[in-house]
Amino acid sequence: MGSKEEWQKYQEAMRAGDAAAAAEAFRRFQEAKKQEGKGGSTPTLVNLSTKSKTYRNAIPVDQIPDELVTNPEFFELMKKIADKEG
Amino acid sequence: MPSTVCIADFDLPTRSASGFMLRHVVPRLEPIHLFSILARRFPFQLSAPQSDIIIGMGHGDVDTFTGQNEAVILDAGRYNPREVRGKVIKLLSCQTGVELGPDLVKNGCAVFMGYTDDYLWVMDADLASRPWADEMAATCLMPVMDGINALLDGKTAREAFDIELEGYGRNAAVEEDELIKSCLKFNRSNAVLLGDPMARIRARPRIKLPLPPPPLILPIS
Repeated sequence: MGSKEEWQKYQEAMRAGDAAAAAEAFRRFQEAKKQEGKGGSTPTLVNLSTKSKTYRNAIPVDQIPDELVTNPEFFELMKKIADKEG
Repeated sequence: MPSTVCIADFDLPTRSASGFMLRHVVPRLEPIHLFSILARRFPFQLSAPQSDIIIGMGHGDVDTFTGQNEAVILDAGRYNPREVRGKVIKLLSCQTGVELGPDLVKNGCAVFMGYTDDYLWVMDADLASRPWADEMAATCLMPVMDGINALLDGKTAREAFDIELEGYGRNAAVEEDELIKSCLKFNRSNAVLLGDPMARIRARPRIKLPLPPPPLILPIS
């Protein structure tokens, strides 16, 4: 399955509010992307929010699944992104 | 009239964005830049009242814009209106469009451009020592630089804002990485323009890009 399809599954899990399923789908998305030869050497999701947030300003993309499961505030942020895209 | 450019540079996101600012915006402006350790409240207080444009990049919250090491630069309701009156203000920061932006407009700034939620992008952490070479980050950050350069060309705030939005749309249409594409759409949907959309500043001289990379890049502490 390609990265686009895996991303769809990730978004469906996000919209359903299922952190564990979203994390697993994101891992598969990352794996598919690697197989397609996409992504930089150390892709990192960054943001410009202050330290008042519980999530880090720089999260290596391969750590996003763990962060989704362990950090509800980060999950909410990623859910907003998924909702806006849909 | 000079400009005030306040650019933090102390962690991965500020390093990435400051690299693009240094490469694509700063060379067009007068040599008074609040960069890195100078991105603090006191130098800002001295520089801002004399400027026609304030360009800021740093961490932010609904009511706060910060500089180096999150030193507060602008806090809603806690600054002298003289610092912002009549100015065109662009802040590349998270959430400042929620409370700080409206407060700036209420206190007389001509126009404010910022974001109502987190500003996110994907960067290559291995390129922190030459951030302008990061093509993943460029996908999100170049529309911001293009918008700022449109302001510096003398275009209206509305025109500059539209250039940034079009940049996100154009890049999203061709982006193959779904995560980067979703960041582009998210940032686009959160961009706001408050105040007078016809506000503009004196045009600065155009420069031919690309310039050679700026010389000063220190390790992130």
